[in-house]
Amino acid sequence: MHEFDWSSIPNALPFLWEGMKISLNITVSAVIFGIVWGTLLALMRLSPIKPLSWFAAGYVNLFRAIPLVMVLLWFFLIVPHLLESLFGFPRGSDMRLSSAIAGFALFEAAYYSEIIRAGIQSVPKGQMGAASALGMTYGQAMRLVVLPQAFRNMVPLLLTQGIILFQDTSLVYVSALADFFGAAYKVGDRDGRLVELLLFAGAVYFVICFTASRIVRHYQNKLKTA
Amino acid sequence: MITMNKVSKHYGSFQVLADCTTQVHKGEVIVVCGPSGSGKSTLIKCVNGLEPFQSGEIIVNGVSVGDPKTNLSKLRSTVGMVFQNFELFPHMSIIDNLAIAQTKVLGRTQEQAREKGFKLLDRVGLRAQAEKYPGQLSGGQQQRVAIARALAMDPICMLFDEPTSALDPEMVNEVLDVMTELAQEGMTMMCVTHEMGFAKRVASRVIFMDQGRIVEDDSKEAFFEHARSERAQQFLAKILHH
Repeated sequence: MHEFDWSSIPNALPFLWEGMKISLNITVSAVIFGIVWGTLLALMRLSPIKPLSWFAAGYVNLFRAIPLVMVLLWFFLIVPHLLESLFGFPRGSDMRLSSAIAGFALFEAAYYSEIIRAGIQSVPKGQMGAASALGMTYGQAMRLVVLPQAFRNMVPLLLTQGIILFQDTSLVYVSALADFFGAAYKVGDRDGRLVELLLFAGAVYFVICFTASRIVRHYQNKLKTA
Repeated sequence: MITMNKVSKHYGSFQVLADCTTQVHKGEVIVVCGPSGSGKSTLIKCVNGLEPFQSGEIIVNGVSVGDPKTNLSKLRSTVGMVFQNFELFPHMSIIDNLAIAQTKVLGRTQEQAREKGFKLLDRVGLRAQAEKYPGQLSGGQQQRVAIARALAMDPICMLFDEPTSALDPEMVNEVLDVMTELAQEGMTMMCVTHEMGFAKRVASRVIFMDQGRIVEDDSKEAFFEHARSERAQQFLAKILHH
């Protein structure tokens, strides 16, 4: 029977917290960039200009058909080299964090764009008609009338996707980046207490994600009654 | 003010509008009626370009609606439109609903826009509701706000697309009263409606449509007393005697 020994955790907390900061940094940055890029993709997809619509459809289908971990590896292995040769970035500069954020943002944008597209389509067509009838351009009508309503309906789905993204940040271990999961693994490996550290990390992920999804559900109920 | 010349529209092989020709002069109130699916709504939505049409031409205040060079947004800002389902913006307060297009389209300041908005809310009797949201108002109140919102743009004419057909019966009159008042002040109006009492009171002319064609286009007296087509006679018989 395995003897549990949790003693290495308290001393490792500052290191684990540094890892958590990286996880949160990746999550928040990727959610923000993902939603912005996802919104643009959704607008392209719904655009009457065919090439834009094809591009967006192709992008979404491509990213939804490949595993996230592969995208992260591409960004880890290939993109830094590209940047080096294209823009003369100094060789060996540490771009693991930024390439991880870029990988997540571009990948998640494909998912966000589908949520946002559904959100835009859930706004009654008459709203666009009424905005146009008042003399608003297509862009004004989208920005002032359709998107605010679409986002209001979508907030729970966008947040839920954000929670999934937070869990997926643990995949950055492929680039040896010490996010929360990576930090826990390192500590466990060093002290020979891998089981304890992984259980602890799992518990932390669970508490954070469970709390967050409770908050989302609360918001969802409030939205329903409003 | 509005000239339509042989306007036609079809979805695939289905003819929605066929050679519709008519004119609306300044200060006239035109009631457009006819059975459902006869193309009435489509006809007035063509006037401000909300519905494209394939052939013919529509000239509104000297501007051709179908011309690809026409700035449709600019044209629409001069033509007020009221919809069957109100289409107020649910995420904005009533006063913001009235102010948004004034500031974003006409470039008025927030103060000017709100002042104008309050004045128009006063006029439709809803000043007290200014800070509420559309969802908190009754259907009749929402439609009066929608009329005020269109008027806030100082339109040269107003289009009404079945403004009372989504309302509970007891709310129809409060909306018709606002429309009647508007007509009496000389607003040029095109109204798609089944309210024949309203047509009898304020219409200058009645257009009767069937299967995408303008079947009758006559003064209200001529229309109600001796409609020429059999289709219009049947329609009137059904709608007036029940």
